[in-house]
Amino acid sequence: MSTFLQACVNGLLMGGFYSLMGMGQNVIFGVMKIVNFCHGEMLMVGMYLTFVLYTFFGIDPYLSVPIVAVVMFLFGALIQHTLITPSLGTKSFTNLLFLTVGLGLLLSNGALVIFGSTYYTINTPYSQTYINLGPVTMALPRLISFGVLVVISSALFAFLKYTTTGKQIRAVSQNPVGAEVVGINVKSIYILTYGIGVALAGVAGSLLTGFYTIFPTAGASFGFRALIVVVVGGLGSIPGAFLAGIFLGLLETMVALFISPSYSDLIVFVTFIVILVVRQTIIARRR
Amino acid sequence: MKARKVTSMLCALALSVVALAGCASGAINSAQGQAAAPAEQERTEAAPAEEAAPAEETAAADENAPEGDPIRLGTIYAMSGGNAAIGANILRGIDFAVAEINAKGGVLGRPLEVVRGDHAGDPATGKSEAERLITQEHVDLMMGCHMSTVTEVVAQVCQQYGVPMITAISTLDRLTDADHEDMDYFFRLCPLNSVYVEDMLKYLKDSTEQTGEEIKTIAIFTDRAAIGQELIRCVNLFKDEYGLELVAEVDYTSNATDLSAQVLALKDANPDAILCDSYIGDATLFVQTLKAQNYSPKMIVAKANGFTDPSFITNLGSIANGVASVVEFNPDLTNGVEINEEFNKEFGVDMNGHSAESYTVVWIFKTAIEAAGSVEGEAVKEALTNLDIQGEFPGGRKIVLPYDRIKFENYELAGEPHYRDNTYASVAIAQIQDGAWKTVWPFNFTETKIAYPAPLE
Repeated sequence: MSTFLQACVNGLLMGGFYSLMGMGQNVIFGVMKIVNFCHGEMLMVGMYLTFVLYTFFGIDPYLSVPIVAVVMFLFGALIQHTLITPSLGTKSFTNLLFLTVGLGLLLSNGALVIFGSTYYTINTPYSQTYINLGPVTMALPRLISFGVLVVISSALFAFLKYTTTGKQIRAVSQNPVGAEVVGINVKSIYILTYGIGVALAGVAGSLLTGFYTIFPTAGASFGFRALIVVVVGGLGSIPGAFLAGIFLGLLETMVALFISPSYSDLIVFVTFIVILVVRQTIIARRR
Repeated sequence: MKARKVTSMLCALALSVVALAGCASGAINSAQGQAAAPAEQERTEAAPAEEAAPAEETAAADENAPEGDPIRLGTIYAMSGGNAAIGANILRGIDFAVAEINAKGGVLGRPLEVVRGDHAGDPATGKSEAERLITQEHVDLMMGCHMSTVTEVVAQVCQQYGVPMITAISTLDRLTDADHEDMDYFFRLCPLNSVYVEDMLKYLKDSTEQTGEEIKTIAIFTDRAAIGQELIRCVNLFKDEYGLELVAEVDYTSNATDLSAQVLALKDANPDAILCDSYIGDATLFVQTLKAQNYSPKMIVAKANGFTDPSFITNLGSIANGVASVVEFNPDLTNGVEINEEFNKEFGVDMNGHSAESYTVVWIFKTAIEAAGSVEGEAVKEALTNLDIQGEFPGGRKIVLPYDRIKFENYELAGEPHYRDNTYASVAIAQIQDGAWKTVWPFNFTETKIAYPAPLE
């Protein structure tokens, strides 16, 4: 029983990250209908940014979250404006596919050139603090990270639901032509959305540094899971992505607990394919 | 429309310039910072290797200076590409031995000369380098390589031209198996992969002597990739012989996002000892997760790789204390202390397993040539086949590795025939104690005792 509870907590804490990654990816997909294949690399950039802030300026990883968010937002906005917006006009999916994949390669190799292949960690005074709650143990950094990402997710919900800009983003995602007709500047919404998506990935990276190693390809496994989250949670749906992320985290630990850790990846991907097929069938019937 | 295109292209250009500028300033920053800038590290590591050449010259200028045509020793290691740092360590060991031998009058009164080849991590390059060294540089002997796949190809070339070759560090079992029975110019000094694992199990058994507790059950924690499969295969070869029960095989995909499920599985199985093989990222996450899941295994023995990466201790700090690993050499080995001091004075870094093994191979060649009385390929091959070094090299030091005899023999390992391996080769086990690697096994090569149960704090 205690193992089960521990596994639930582990799944939940990890699932939070998948959620955050999935939501970032989904904001971008919902609005622009493009899959951001360099999402994992953006997480990695966020990790290195936090590492640099900590090593050279002594800024605590959690205090650097807002800085990372702002810097990553600007970085995302710049990429959107200079690289993605011009490609959107071509209506060519392959163009954008290669663009984001290529950008990902550029970023991870750039990190390799600057920081080398050494694996870094950030050791704060509280890194090795563990909290015991009955039969369950939690590392303090994981718990703080989870708290922060719940706050960020709620803020994102509220932003999209209640602010004018949030409403504009939703309008563009539902019908870009209609939105343009009623006077919404679609291009700036695109820049804003991509910035938000990238900032979310960067923040996830920043929060991870408390308990994960920093290396140039650190984002790959997370980027891949973000894609699963997006597909399972529904393309474009933010609450869907949040729940799907938690679901993915729990699924991984439960499979590992009840079947075997060796099968956890396998079953995750099988579930992913099953969901895709089932959804496709349902959609086909409705028509 | 055209104007827009031009602007966007300009913007893209600006972005890449900014990115490049970021690279440059980042590089400078990181070099200044405390966080071991890798670029700088490599530079400082590479520098002493370059200084090695003048060191040789000064040694050669000594009064003992050997005369006559040099004996040419070909080396094929990665000197460029991702593994260049490993190649640098190996070549330091070789340069150190060559300087030592030349200072003492050389071999048969002739100086040794190193002719360097670079395989850059690629078997095809290795093959052409071997051919170049043999046909154009006319090397008499060959050493190599790092990466067993390259070694295999180079050994074939050496066999074809009748040049004796010894590998100091290629551990792949296959290199000396039945398929390579006829490759009688190829010898191996280092232990085989499966011997590494056998020694891990021997250590578990021997540890009872110091800990008072017998190890009966083991679990494997490893990467699902080739390294993990190899560990599982080898443990299964030897576990019955050592009376150990394998209670869990727990694996994960490289660069795992989370290892808590794996750690819980290990906690459930509750083995007396955990054997592991992981790359650095996963090794670090593993120990962190052990702490996070409140599980403290009594014994963790790793098959080097990520666990012996310098950043393992740096990143984990005190919670790494107690983790043990296979090592080929450690500066605190009783036979290694003295040479390590001299080596460190010369190169500014400690001798590692690769440099110690390469150092030893140069001395083996010297001893064999003197026994043969010539550098002619076949004669040296015969001398190597009959070589038996016990304790120390004639006119040299004690063997600096964790064993006291070197003899190339044909034998059977776990039912498979093997040819021309050094059957006395063994690894040592070192444990992290107070933030540094301390040799704890074989017991007769160290005075440090095993920290048991592993403190992990």
